[in-house]
Amino acid sequence: MRAARAAGAPRSLVMRYAKYFMAARLGLHTRLAYRGNAIGRSLTYGLFIFVYSRIWTTVMAGRTELGGYGLSALVWYFIVAELPSFAYGRFFGTVAEDVKSGQIAYLVARPWSFLGYGFAQAMGPALLDIGSFAVEGLLFGLLLLGDCPLRDPAQAGALLLSLLLSGVIQYHFQAGIALTAFWVEENSAFLWIWQKFALVIGTLMPIELLPETARRMALRTPFPWIAWAPGRIAVAWDGGLSPALLAGQAAWALGAILLSRLVYAAGRRRIAAQGG
Amino acid sequence: MALIEVRSLSKSFRARVRASGFGASFHSLFKPQWRVVEAVKEVSFEVGEGEAVAFLGPNGAGKSTTIKMLTGILEPTGGQARVLSLDPSRRRTQLATSIGTVFGQKSQLWFHLPPSDSFALLAAVYELPRELFLKRRDELVDRFGIGPWMDVPVRKLSLGERIRCEVAASLLHAPRILFLDEPTIGLDVVAKRELRSLLEELRKREGTTLFLTSHDVGDIEKVCKRAIIIHHGSVVVDESMKELRHRALSKKRIGVKYGGPVDLELPGLSPVKRTADAASFEIDTRSHNLPELIAALAGRGELLDLTVEDEPLEDIIAEVFRGGNAEEARAAARATARARGGLGDGAGGGIDSGDEGGRAAGSQGVATGKQGGVP
Amino acid sequence: MRRNGLGAYLRFLGAAFSSNIQAAMEYRVNFLVQVFGMMLNNAAFAVFWKILIDRAGSIGGYGFTDVMALWAIVSTSFGLAHVFMGNIRNLGSVIMKGELDVYLLQPKDPWLNVLVSRTSVSAWGDTFYGYIVLAFLPGPSVPGFLLFTVLAIIGALVLAATFSAAESLAFFLGDSSAISGALAEFMLSFSLYPETIFDRNARWIFYSIIPSGFVAFLPLAAWKSLNWSMVPLLAAAALVYVIASRALFALGLRRYESGSQMGTRL
Repeated sequence: MRAARAAGAPRSLVMRYAKYFMAARLGLHTRLAYRGNAIGRSLTYGLFIFVYSRIWTTVMAGRTELGGYGLSALVWYFIVAELPSFAYGRFFGTVAEDVKSGQIAYLVARPWSFLGYGFAQAMGPALLDIGSFAVEGLLFGLLLLGDCPLRDPAQAGALLLSLLLSGVIQYHFQAGIALTAFWVEENSAFLWIWQKFALVIGTLMPIELLPETARRMALRTPFPWIAWAPGRIAVAWDGGLSPALLAGQAAWALGAILLSRLVYAAGRRRIAAQGG
Repeated sequence: MALIEVRSLSKSFRARVRASGFGASFHSLFKPQWRVVEAVKEVSFEVGEGEAVAFLGPNGAGKSTTIKMLTGILEPTGGQARVLSLDPSRRRTQLATSIGTVFGQKSQLWFHLPPSDSFALLAAVYELPRELFLKRRDELVDRFGIGPWMDVPVRKLSLGERIRCEVAASLLHAPRILFLDEPTIGLDVVAKRELRSLLEELRKREGTTLFLTSHDVGDIEKVCKRAIIIHHGSVVVDESMKELRHRALSKKRIGVKYGGPVDLELPGLSPVKRTADAASFEIDTRSHNLPELIAALAGRGELLDLTVEDEPLEDIIAEVFRGGNAEEARAAARATARARGGLGDGAGGGIDSGDEGGRAAGSQGVATGKQGGVP
Repeated sequence: MRRNGLGAYLRFLGAAFSSNIQAAMEYRVNFLVQVFGMMLNNAAFAVFWKILIDRAGSIGGYGFTDVMALWAIVSTSFGLAHVFMGNIRNLGSVIMKGELDVYLLQPKDPWLNVLVSRTSVSAWGDTFYGYIVLAFLPGPSVPGFLLFTVLAIIGALVLAATFSAAESLAFFLGDSSAISGALAEFMLSFSLYPETIFDRNARWIFYSIIPSGFVAFLPLAAWKSLNWSMVPLLAAAALVYVIASRALFALGLRRYESGSQMGTRL
């Protein structure tokens, strides 16, 4: 490798992307240093699971299925569907902070992709979060329902992949929204709108429970591909649908990346024009 | 009848001993070790009506603890205090109507509002009838010269302007005693000077008794007529300014410089600093005869330069404060005469913005951010 | 002149409230943004409930209007509590930062003084939201509004007492923000969902340490049937909570005054 480098060969893939791994590690270490808030969020997550398990229990008291889901499926769905909200809910904040503080002016000059670096740095701790929330969710689910929806390793693997893709979609959309700070200073409202749509479309309940037209329209938005996809993979693991779900997520992930890059590029032009 | 009577006032705390090292920390979880901190040890003094007293001491000396006991915030563990014949810790609310407080770090003025609004609120707090309040307010605004700032939000005022408004606010209900805790901290020279003259005038015109803690020499010189110095929880000096000044004036520093090397051995006196041809001496004019000494020095060689200075006050005070315990400090005080704070600018630089009286900028409504499943 | 009589306190409270409003006016834009966010959030949940109830029928006897009424009551209670006593969630922080002294040195009850010395801008939005929803709900109008207001005031007192009691733990525990935060979470989580989804045997919690019963469930029942006879009971409960909360604060204050949590409060 040294010889190749000396000969002016392009840097190896590992070297090119090493910086992003470093970023992820950095994010992780920062997170580990600030564990205070984690307890509060764990509490909220657990509380939600409890309350919604009670809702579904009450709803399913007189019936066996709703929209194709049984009681156990509904509760496990909720447990999984909430993971992207809890673990990936705060990407907006850091990006928004960078823009508002003007820090971004320095960051764009760095020899790495702003979005790529930000994504790596954010995903480090986010994966840790997903892990810890997942463990908590699993425990709650076992306690409340006594069963576990995960059947085989393939399902677990698919679920993991699905959650990762959710992270990609979440990050890039949130970053894109945050970057609108170039044009609109008070843009938290946009994030809230995003969050509320995400809440109703696929997080609190599966989209199969939405009225028909709403459901069809929902599938054209990114939201179900963040929460409903992993939720469904977790509780309705039939070999047929899951690849389609993952494919849909991958498509939206790409779309999200593209969109965020467009916003970013426009924002960069704006910095250049206005000096930040 | 003294306005403030303090007799053998003491305050000790139990503080947990912080264990270091893993094993010790673990052990301390189950059997915590306590040590007793004696912050104030049998302090006694009296303050009469119309006096202006400076209460001095280095950090940790017990100043703030004492003043908190006098205002009723802390309960003493021994001895007693009477302010306006009331026991402050038992009758705090009642006492509050007759005393004023200016605690440097803590503001009575609402941060986001102009002082005039805070004044109006204070009128309600102190139950001042409307006409009386207006008259008093106008008087204070005039006297303190704060007219132009009365309608500017406090957060936009400079520190000096804010303190002036703060002091004015504390006088709205015409208290008989004004307690000030480090009022000039963080102020520039001009602002300090103005505040001091205002306080001095206050004392003269209204006969308000002033009790002020400080590190700053100037506060003491200009405003107060009496100094009580506290160190390691005990009073080490309690004298009027006149006495202190008199004693301090006896301390002199003499510097001499000669054309060539000189023998400067003098009976009963050795130089503080010494080079071959120059030296400086510290003398006490009560034990040395200054004219004789100068004559002797002049006769030792070709005297090029002679300076005679008062001992810098800060040095004297530092000497007192350096005392390892109260006894040493008292001895140092006796030996060097005047003591004053001068060690840095003490605790907490500057006024805290005062969270009270604000509005919650980031506070969310019922369910915003709470119910969304987004932490 | 009788010091600290009722008249003096009313005047003081009025002045504090007026100062609060003026301070809040400085942040109009922020207020609008916050209100928008709150409305958005509540709307999202309204959609959720509508869809769910349309699909599954009533939940534990609660129809859509019931859930909306619940949110309205809790919203206005929460709003009123934070509008008039904006420091109920900050009391712990005030204690920890040594800012209590200023209040101790004024001739007014420190507990009350601290609590009313701040207002939450967004809480105004919560307060009005409840009334807006109320306007759209089917049912009687003027007496309904009146009863709603009375119930909301009672609920606000219970909420304020509970939150500030949790915050008063700062006297004993130092940083009690985890506990008080948790309590707030629990309160909101339980108050905004039908009581009947919870196990019958566990519901005593809602009438003790997490008083959703007094803030949400009983008021809802009372309002639905326009039953004024429940008001004295609820008012008495509120009084109990307020007294208990103030007693806890007083206990903590004694500790504070003995200086055993000295810290570095110079």
